[in-house]
Amino acid sequence: MELVNTAAAERSGPSPSAVISAVAVSKSWGPNQVFSDVTADVPPGVTGLLGSNGSGKTTLLGMLLALHAPDGGTLRVLGEDPATAGPELRMHIGYAPEHHNLPGDVLAQDLVRHIAMVHGLPRREATTRSSDALWLVGLGEERARPIGTMSTGQRQRVKLAQAIAHGPKLVLLDEPTDGLDPVQRDDMLELIRRIGTEFDIHVVLSSHLLEEVERIADNVVILANGKVRAAGPIDELYQGQGGMTVVLDEGAELVAASLQRSGYAVTGERNKLRIGTDESIDQLADAIRDAVAEHNVPLRRLEASTQSLEDLFLDEVYGS
Amino acid sequence: MTAPGSAEIFDRGYRAYDGPRAGVSSSMKAVFVSTVQRALGLRRKFRYKIVPLATIFIAYVPALVFLGITAILPSELAGQVVEEYAGYFELISVMMLLLTAFVVPEVMGADRKTGMFGLYMASPLNRWHYLAAKFVGIIAVLSLVTTMPSIFQMAGYSLLGIGPEGFVETIKTLVKIIASGFVLSIFFALFGMAASTLTNRHLFASAGIVMSTIATAAFADIITQTSDAPSWIQLISVVTIPLELIVRIWGSSPEFPQIEGVSTLASFGAWALACAVFGGVILYGYRRMEVTK
Repeated sequence: MELVNTAAAERSGPSPSAVISAVAVSKSWGPNQVFSDVTADVPPGVTGLLGSNGSGKTTLLGMLLALHAPDGGTLRVLGEDPATAGPELRMHIGYAPEHHNLPGDVLAQDLVRHIAMVHGLPRREATTRSSDALWLVGLGEERARPIGTMSTGQRQRVKLAQAIAHGPKLVLLDEPTDGLDPVQRDDMLELIRRIGTEFDIHVVLSSHLLEEVERIADNVVILANGKVRAAGPIDELYQGQGGMTVVLDEGAELVAASLQRSGYAVTGERNKLRIGTDESIDQLADAIRDAVAEHNVPLRRLEASTQSLEDLFLDEVYGS
Repeated sequence: MTAPGSAEIFDRGYRAYDGPRAGVSSSMKAVFVSTVQRALGLRRKFRYKIVPLATIFIAYVPALVFLGITAILPSELAGQVVEEYAGYFELISVMMLLLTAFVVPEVMGADRKTGMFGLYMASPLNRWHYLAAKFVGIIAVLSLVTTMPSIFQMAGYSLLGIGPEGFVETIKTLVKIIASGFVLSIFFALFGMAASTLTNRHLFASAGIVMSTIATAAFADIITQTSDAPSWIQLISVVTIPLELIVRIWGSSPEFPQIEGVSTLASFGAWALACAVFGGVILYGYRRMEVTK
């Protein structure tokens, strides 16, 4: 089952309200099809771009920056077509690449100011805002240090600072927690969340780590095998993926058989059953109650199944 | 004590920027300035300044020596020892080669190796804007060795009363100096950029620039001295191509003869062809260069 945003899928044109809107976008590198018929909307806020390594996340970011043109379909970023509005559009986009090897002999403040100036800021504004951005990411005291003397965590922060210093409307972060230890990762995620919520900057965060996307993103786009397998607000994606878990003291196989006869998907082992449904939880709870009553078996526990993004990802990418 | 109401908050924190943004030309200017700074080792440790600044200084030494000699000699003798401008360009061609080999891989290859190229491509710049800004930046730095010493020399000669006579001659000489400087700078900038396009490794690019210059010069020398090869074969030498065109700009002299059997048009054609080949390598290389994939 694909959980593609239905509004996007049914529409023939890009959404005017979406930060990023793709309709039937396809892209190949030579004989290798990277995407086919990708359709998704990315609403305002923090969006996680999820996919395993090699799933095309970086290629998609490159297309959003107009570095690669799609072979087909329509792509809109901040309401503009990247193919025609490339330079003007990129002026309002911040980008932090995946790699860590920034010029080692350049001072952090020089790099951040330079990138701000390249994005069109006057020198004076670029200087003050690069300083502000470096303070925001926690490198205020370190801003006059050469980047080559910084740790991986600090370099990730420099990359983030250069991406936001010029006041972009949209920031694209490619694996921003790569190479960070758990504490640094938590700090970085907190920082990204702040940028997406406090400063009115839309954030697209590419990652193969589900847990971090789940922690900070409002929306998610899951890429697999050249297609968008799920897209939309995380809360909405969880809906319809629900079900209930029931634990019985005995007679689990009888209850399972009854529910299966009623058309429910039942999985589980021994006394613990997981019943999936596309219907409402209330309807499912009624059906379980009836099955338990029918066989008069003792019920130990009944609860709504909570599905993590990992479950959702694994379901969509590798199939149920 | 601070008066009430005079306190000011200095840490304003991160703010969105809604002000005006300059266009692509301003972005190119930022890359141009950064290229010049990096090439000259400015805002970098002292060791990065040594080679470029020493090379540039050495390029001015002949001019200083000639000016010194002519200053202490009587004016009737001074006129006889004045170095011809065409000769000056030949004198500084070694400095030119060294500066090219050191500076161009530094400002081209390093951007790719350190990921700066990707950051530029995520900005309003595209590949061609980027290359144009880099090219102009490199030309500006190389001009410190090609054009400026001769202008310095001309200014010195003029002050000593042995420079070009009259306004028209001065302008003509100045135009010739600038044209010669551009012939040399454009050629070596494209040569260096082409070599730097082929590898990200600074050392390999530098070695390639120096070795190919020496090898083509040696090859052209051996061929012309050991066989009846036509004289234009000397244009195989990388360094001969721009210098021959400079001789045409200043006019052939006994000290700096032009290659026989090669017309000025052919000399310009060889220079233009070489520049086109170097340019083709750069454009092809950068067109295919991956930013993200």
